[in-house]
Amino acid sequence: MTVDAKVFLDKIQSLLDHLYESQKDVIEETAQLMARCIENDGVVHVFGSGHSVGLAIDISLREGSLVPVHIIENADAVILGEFTLEEFTDKVNKFERRQGVAQYFYNLYDIRENDIFFVISNSGINGVGIDFAMLAKENGHKVIVITSMEHTLAEASRHPSGKKLYMLGDVVIDNCGPHGDALLPTNGIEKVCSVSSICNNAVAQMAAVRTVEILKEHGYNPPVLTGDEAHDRELKEHYKGRI
Amino acid sequence: MDIKKVYLDKLKADIDRAYDTQLEKIQVIARMFGECMDNGGVVQLFGVRHGIEFVNELNYRAGGIAPFHKMNIGDLLIRHMCTKEEVYKTFEIYNRPEVYDQLTSMYVLDDRDLYVLVSERGNEPLVLRFAQEAKKRGQKIVAVVNKSYYDNCGGTLLDYADIWLDMQTECPDVAVDVDGIKVGQTGTTVTNIMAQMITGELYRYFIEKHGQAPVLLSANVKGADVHNNALTDPYGRRVR
Repeated sequence: MTVDAKVFLDKIQSLLDHLYESQKDVIEETAQLMARCIENDGVVHVFGSGHSVGLAIDISLREGSLVPVHIIENADAVILGEFTLEEFTDKVNKFERRQGVAQYFYNLYDIRENDIFFVISNSGINGVGIDFAMLAKENGHKVIVITSMEHTLAEASRHPSGKKLYMLGDVVIDNCGPHGDALLPTNGIEKVCSVSSICNNAVAQMAAVRTVEILKEHGYNPPVLTGDEAHDRELKEHYKGRI
Repeated sequence: MDIKKVYLDKLKADIDRAYDTQLEKIQVIARMFGECMDNGGVVQLFGVRHGIEFVNELNYRAGGIAPFHKMNIGDLLIRHMCTKEEVYKTFEIYNRPEVYDQLTSMYVLDDRDLYVLVSERGNEPLVLRFAQEAKKRGQKIVAVVNKSYYDNCGGTLLDYADIWLDMQTECPDVAVDVDGIKVGQTGTTVTNIMAQMITGELYRYFIEKHGQAPVLLSANVKGADVHNNALTDPYGRRVR
């Protein structure tokens, strides 16, 4: 099997087409939820472990981005919370595998009734993401899940309930990535070139642009950073403490 | 037309343009990475603002190659040596060249290492300090900038770079016009794809030269920890 930049280019372009064709309806549902959330002065919280949080960075913090997007970061337990660095980096009692981590984050932030959640996990089998989705639903929030269906169906859940993340979403988006995340087969057992960040970003960007369009259709002024300092400052001030 | 499709078409066109214009450099960079690793070096990664995504795409990634190491502003945040405000809102952290000393004092760096510096603007004093220090030691520098931003902002990072990639988006990077509102970006995803193209070419380098490649597995696949540790343990703290 040849592996090089051209092979990756051809495969990723095909995968992006497949992603759009197979997921456009659920991305539309996602945009409808996001628009309703924003119209009700809600915030879109994004929880993702590891590389999954990259999606939140991609759709926030710069010109052309929606303002009410909040990134939930594990490190906030130390930066904003009372965990020590030693507790956070403990290699034996791993922070993200502790009981109650999801509840801890839920309490740490200013989360309000109309807020919604993205919970992103490529595997969709790990405890904290599943806990987070359960907790958000218990508190009446809509949950949008992004996961790799091929990966999640191939691995056992690590959550005590036996559930996987996709079972908990009000909307479930398949990022169409392969089991193990790497796209290109080789002559050996390994596969190379991961795609989850690329596909997750594409999903989030498509949802964001459609959200803005829906808001415009509804006559609601979309809270988007424009590069105008005064405008952007006012918008950030409106959501201060929540994003 | 479905605006989601409008966005996707723009993204796909930007990806094609990046491939057409950057392929030769991607291949040279992959070879530089391979030679650095063959020589016992680690590829050190540092990204500014959204450039962090390019870094994350190469560092300890499923289906990626080892050894890379991310020099991470987050390491200062969790030690309360800076604030989220400075990192994510004002971006003031990147205007402080002395942060270089704080960051590098936490890592084990080596003269055999190569530096990848990622900054759309290429003008932040902190990223320039990284470039100046690497240059002083005679180490190779790969820069990733967005040339349209770089030219607008008076960037100078490329003065130090041995080779550089262009993220290939307009300034500002906004993809779609929704009735007068510009929204969505493609730059980060395009650079993620360039990072994966480098991974593919780097894999090819190792296979052609050694018949095998140090490929990392997804941590969510059985047996991955043992496999991945075997690849990274020999580098100890240089990659942690």
